[in-house]
Amino acid sequence: MRPPIKPMPPRKSQYGIAPELVKKRVADMPGITSLLVSELFPDSPKVVFPGDRGIEAVRAATEAALEKVDMSMIKPNQSVNVLTSHHGFTLVGGEPFAEMLRTIRDVVARRTGCENIRLRAGVGLRFRETEEYIKRFRLDEHYKGKASGIAPIDEGIPIETEIGTLYGIKRAYDADWIIHAHNSDVREVHFHRQVDKVVKPFGMSYARIETRSTYHHNMGPRAANFTARAIFDSPFVQDKFAFTSFLVASPSGVVGVDADNNLYALNDRLTAAGCAFYGKIMTLLGQIDECIAVLDFPCPVPYVFAAGVIYANFAGANVDLFDLDNALPAYTWYTEAFYGKGGPLVEEVPPVNPAIKMCVHNYAWGGYPSAFFAEHIPTVVVGREQADLMNRDPQNLTYMNFATIADGTDAAMRFARAVTGTDKIIIFDGAAGGINVSESLAGLLVARAPEIGRRVDQYLLPRWLEQRGMDISVLKNLKTA
Amino acid sequence: MKVVTMYPEVNRDKCTGCRTCERVCPVLAIKVVDKKATVDMSRCRGCAACEQRCPVYALAMVKRDDPFTVQVKVRDEMLPRIKEICARARINPEYIVCYCTATRAEEVVAAILEGAATPEEISLATGVRTGCKVECIQPVLRLLEAAGIKPARPEGGWQWYGRTITAFEIPQAVKAKFSKRGFYFDEDIKLLDKVAKATPTKEGAE
Ligand code: SF4
Ligand code: SF4
Repeated sequence: MRPPIKPMPPRKSQYGIAPELVKKRVADMPGITSLLVSELFPDSPKVVFPGDRGIEAVRAATEAALEKVDMSMIKPNQSVNVLTSHHGFTLVGGEPFAEMLRTIRDVVARRTGCENIRLRAGVGLRFRETEEYIKRFRLDEHYKGKASGIAPIDEGIPIETEIGTLYGIKRAYDADWIIHAHNSDVREVHFHRQVDKVVKPFGMSYARIETRSTYHHNMGPRAANFTARAIFDSPFVQDKFAFTSFLVASPSGVVGVDADNNLYALNDRLTAAGCAFYGKIMTLLGQIDECIAVLDFPCPVPYVFAAGVIYANFAGANVDLFDLDNALPAYTWYTEAFYGKGGPLVEEVPPVNPAIKMCVHNYAWGGYPSAFFAEHIPTVVVGREQADLMNRDPQNLTYMNFATIADGTDAAMRFARAVTGTDKIIIFDGAAGGINVSESLAGLLVARAPEIGRRVDQYLLPRWLEQRGMDISVLKNLKTA
Repeated sequence: MKVVTMYPEVNRDKCTGCRTCERVCPVLAIKVVDKKATVDMSRCRGCAACEQRCPVYALAMVKRDDPFTVQVKVRDEMLPRIKEICARARINPEYIVCYCTATRAEEVVAAILEGAATPEEISLATGVRTGCKVECIQPVLRLLEAAGIKPARPEGGWQWYGRTITAFEIPQAVKAKFSKRGFYFDEDIKLLDKVAKATPTKEGAE
């Protein structure tokens, strides 16, 4: 069996415990092995990062993608906001995303003569998170002091759309031109359902609370992302939009950079790529019959990931998240809101993935309402410090009402094995290129992968794409390695 | 229901009096007085919005010596009005409006029935909008509207701007144009309606 892949190291952040308090990683424990996504699915796309050429490969891919983009609308005396958000910074350590952002600035300055280029980085629910990344990846220096975080409670600006007034963050739009810079990692597919995923940040990361609340309460689980399209389509945003550049992600790493002046053309390519690249591994993880899920990554509980799949999606892996005929995944805020006092209010609410017998929270952050997970999945938190962190977090004041505490990682794992009676372990530790699992679980995944690969290719993928009004041929224009 | 365990401590040397904290506080508990931020401890709900947006990092969240809980009791005699207002807003009384505090629509309406007439007063009474600060403004505005109340925005504040569209109000032409693109408008409307009309699972409990 292959040795485990090195997990992403703990990260210093106000949203997590100090790195030195993470004394043991579950990947380092006996009986853990790794599976490469490319071995499970030999037709996985070729990865440019991690790779032999290092970060230079990302710079070269960004430069090549931007070559075909028209920047002539940007004049030397004008201002440009490069809009981005936090998610890309947790992907393969964050450096590839930071490098794409640096390259965008360099290329725009070189080609247009414009020097007033600002980075405006949106956030989820941790309002200082991108400020931390800006410092960590020295983006402030690269953007010549013009890089800052923006949050959804900052001053707003009304945006007139075809569905009425929605609200953006004023500072996202305070330039002559905007460039939309993001990554295509499907991540919170339980929310956007891979519908217009590329457009989503206009309704979330660059949007005020009114718009985000519209998305999560007013529109329904499959129509929600239309809020983002409405904002992007508005004359206000169209008048400022210059182009877009995306780091193309796959479960095994970065596969390239794609850029376009036409956001919807890129949206089609990356929507199809998301279904094609992530569909197999997600469907495979849905095959797991029983397991202990381990959280071991510097991110809030639902966002820790394994082979590109986040824990929130694994908690819903008993439902096909890409299939839009399924009204609700086992976890979204709509699902959560539909639980009455005595259980679900409607029968469309699926149960949380019954394969997860227990969750060991070895290392994960607060900063995202996560009590739902502890309430529905027996959870052991390692160490008093992490319990205290959750208890201090205004978004997680009841998380520890449902979870128990173990003194250390060994005790937590021993407890989980004894109580659940399973030795199948899956670790959400952001391992690059593969997934760290126990040997028993590795056997199951290896045995099932070929059949899952066939089922996705022949039946599921065409169905997912048809539901979104496209077919796989759109991928021929995707810029990857 | 919200347990209030923290409050912001002001570093008066660092504070520049810029008023950002005042503009973002969902319960109007922090104000600039004599060019320095000043916290009204009895109002503060410990959400950390101010601490998270202060441009000069002049605030630090610290533990309260006297943690307390805010909650509005849903009393039996309120139930007919709660049902009526929720039905008008097309929100089930047991619908969870705020994920951080697990506050249900019925508690928000109970706060309104007890006199809360703005999102700020509702937050003060129930704790909604004092967790993540981001997601729950629309159901609050919808429930106020359904109760016949048009709240005024805090002057000069960024607390909230306005109610936005719901799925029920999406123009037919928009639905027709985009339904083939994976937006399941009509199916979601059906689902939201079914939830709104569902029989509560444990009416009047808690
Ligand atoms: S945001 Fe910070 S600097 Fe500005 S008034 Fe408040 S505490 Fe003072
Ligand atoms: S309620 Fe929130 S924003 Fe207002 S003073 Fe307290 S912690 Fe700060």
